[in-house]
Amino acid sequence: MARSKKMRAVLLALALSVGLLCACSAVSTPVTTQKHRVALVVKSTETEFWKSAFAGAKAAATEYNLELSIRGPETEEDYKTQNEMIGQAVEDGAEALVFSAIDYENNVPAIEAAAQAGLKLVAIDSGVASDKISTYIGTDNYAAGKMAASAALQSGESQICVGLVNYDANSANGQEREKGVREILEQLDNVEIVQAMNVFSIAENARIRTEAMLKQHPEINVIIAFNEPTSVGAARAVRDLGLEEDVWLVGFDSNVETVDLLQSGVVDVLIVQNPYAMGYLGVESAYKLLAGQTDEVESTVDTATVLVTRENMFTPDCQKALFSFAGW
Amino acid sequence: MKRWRSRGRGMSMTSILVLMVVCIVAVALTGCMILFISRYQRAMEQSAKTSSEQAVEQVASVVGSYTRDMNQAMAMLVEALEEEEDPDAFFDNFLKIRPDVVAVTRYDSQGELLDCWALDRQPREHILENLSFDKRLLESGQESSISAPHAESIFEGYYPWVVTMTQKIDGEDGESWLALDLSFFNISSYINNVGIGQHGYCFLTDTGGSIVYHPQQQLLYSGIKNESAEEQLASRDGNYTQEDMICSVKDIEGSSWRVVGVSYVDELVTANVAVMIQIALTIVAAVLLVTAVSSLILSGVLSRPLHSLSNEMEKFEQNAAEYTYHPVKGAREVGALSDAFGHMVVKIQDLMAKVREEEINLRKTELKALQAQINPHFLYNTLDSIAWMCEQERSADAVQMVHALATLFRISISKGHELIPISKEIEHAKSYLQIQKYRYKNQFSYTFNVDPACEEFYCNKITLQPIIENAIYHGLDLMVEEGRIDVTVRQDGEDIVFTVEDNGVGMSQEQVAHMLHREPGDRTGIGIKNVNDRLRIYFGEGYGLKITSELDEGTCVEIRMPKVKRGEYGEK
Repeated sequence: MARSKKMRAVLLALALSVGLLCACSAVSTPVTTQKHRVALVVKSTETEFWKSAFAGAKAAATEYNLELSIRGPETEEDYKTQNEMIGQAVEDGAEALVFSAIDYENNVPAIEAAAQAGLKLVAIDSGVASDKISTYIGTDNYAAGKMAASAALQSGESQICVGLVNYDANSANGQEREKGVREILEQLDNVEIVQAMNVFSIAENARIRTEAMLKQHPEINVIIAFNEPTSVGAARAVRDLGLEEDVWLVGFDSNVETVDLLQSGVVDVLIVQNPYAMGYLGVESAYKLLAGQTDEVESTVDTATVLVTRENMFTPDCQKALFSFAGW
Repeated sequence: MKRWRSRGRGMSMTSILVLMVVCIVAVALTGCMILFISRYQRAMEQSAKTSSEQAVEQVASVVGSYTRDMNQAMAMLVEALEEEEDPDAFFDNFLKIRPDVVAVTRYDSQGELLDCWALDRQPREHILENLSFDKRLLESGQESSISAPHAESIFEGYYPWVVTMTQKIDGEDGESWLALDLSFFNISSYINNVGIGQHGYCFLTDTGGSIVYHPQQQLLYSGIKNESAEEQLASRDGNYTQEDMICSVKDIEGSSWRVVGVSYVDELVTANVAVMIQIALTIVAAVLLVTAVSSLILSGVLSRPLHSLSNEMEKFEQNAAEYTYHPVKGAREVGALSDAFGHMVVKIQDLMAKVREEEINLRKTELKALQAQINPHFLYNTLDSIAWMCEQERSADAVQMVHALATLFRISISKGHELIPISKEIEHAKSYLQIQKYRYKNQFSYTFNVDPACEEFYCNKITLQPIIENAIYHGLDLMVEEGRIDVTVRQDGEDIVFTVEDNGVGMSQEQVAHMLHREPGDRTGIGIKNVNDRLRIYFGEGYGLKITSELDEGTCVEIRMPKVKRGEYGEK
């Protein structure tokens, strides 16, 4: 008698638990997960480069259903404001941080503080001196520098005098590009780097200083400018001085002005990066890290660069690199 | 004696029942669910395909009407060129109402730019490369064409993506070409909003298979994504299922474009089916649970009463005499079993009591018979008679008495056997009568009438003698005239019948009835009741004594027993 009673009790308990499990799993399928919060903090917000990155980031945020906040200081040298913005993002409850660091060293405290607060870190475009970063997505800047150097050698001159127009010396990507350029050029006998200067990432400032450089060193027949504002400024300087024929200008990034000037001969080569991909993949990686798919996130992702010249700029591939398909 | 242990042999009724029912229900349910779910899955797939097709058809129709629209616009512009006095104003108005037209350009028969109309813009002075006009058209012999998407290259600082519609004009001055640069303003706003399911979408391609417009075109151009449906792009119209994707392709009438719709089986079908499967499993679990519980209850109703019944039976087995039965309640069949058992218990207990009683009786009567084999009173009276005869010097009579007495006691004992041949019993009776006749001084006479065929049969010893004794003491002793005892032994079918008749004083009916129940004192021996009892114990209720009597006339005692041959007793 007692045995059958026990058996019945056990069966009943088992059945109830099975029923509960089924109910739970049936209920849990249509659960909507809360939106993850991702903060994007970059070097500035006005250049076409960053606007393109924002477009990519927003596309990824829509696709993965994320809440995206975008911040950037007014100038690309203001690392203090950038640190404050990172801190602000942490306070606002961001779960992941996608950023491009202005200063390789001085952004570290804010980054580490964010890591301490439990945020996942994704670096795009420009790295930072911290090992808390899960992945870096951007151009292989060193290789891009070498590409720029090779492009510079196409100028057709036998004796090449180079002027380098670089930006903030504390910025990782600019430094790497310069390293790449020097790697190639310093080995060659017929190439001399006459002047290398660091200007602000503002087109007007770059223009003034490039003009000064050209006036000071009229023997310069190749200029390499290392990012969008410096390229625009250098191009303006060459145009204003009427030196299209004499100066072979190698610039970075796609900007409406430099594309115009590429057609008219002021700019000769553009090394076009893929900021849309950086923004998109940056946010996508942040999502994957938050969703626990850590093994799908590689530690480095190389977004391609395209070498654009007057001859190939209107080929379909270069069109795709130069002109963004959006927003009518 | 081996005890029969039924526990541990075979499964209990409860488990068999529950198992069987649960199995049947589970199999039936599973079959149904599988059938239902496979039907459902097929239906969902069909519905997904249909919705994909429908979305694509809709897009095709809208884009078709758009291209027709543009063709008409082109025709209108060509007309305007020829007929309007001031085509510039016309074109300006046209551009104002059509914000999707970026620019209208005209080329001569060599492909050189003649005119360009665009809102608030002038073309560059030196156009590096004019993507809006494909010089290959000049040789192809085609009159009109629509280009693949490209960036607008004739303006400074303005590079939207467009497709160019080109139309040849045969004018009075010769051949010229008109080109319309269309941005995706209209098309994008429509196609971006077309969704199939949550993640499905449509896009446009040309007949060659390259993409004209895709909702995620920037992603494609940045190399982040590849449109995996590209393989299908060269196929004919229709539905194609590929892994987890459904592609629907449709040509757009009146244009060289095609619409491709992509939807995901996963979300449309698999997710729904998964939900259905979960629901199905929940139902199955619930039903099985209910089935199991009700089976348990049911078998409880059946098996518990049966258990108690078998327990009661064990208790009864162990102590039959003291056991009182408490009925077990349950289903009707169980109740019937229980009642039957109760009756059986009562019957068995009755039988047991009866057997015990009969045993006691038998022992008592045998004991008595044993005792009576040597009757002291009779013995010393007879010995007195013999002594007296010897004193009287009637030695011959004395010898006969002694012989008769010896015979009487020899046959009484009969080596302890209860059954003796009838011949011997008759001898016993005769000896007794002889002795009594002497003692009663020939107050009576007797006869024996025996069927010789009966003599070989057996009967209880000391059967006739007590009857005769009774006849003498109660019948004849009180008579005045000469008494008479007649003993008959005859066959009656399968029975032997002894009759002892006397012509004594007789008895009343009450005395007759009383006879068979009276225990005699020491004086006269074992008595009639004993004879009757022994006969009935040995042979059954149908046999024994029957007494008929009439006052003053006489008494007749009939003794009936079955024919028993030597050694046959056990069978009877």
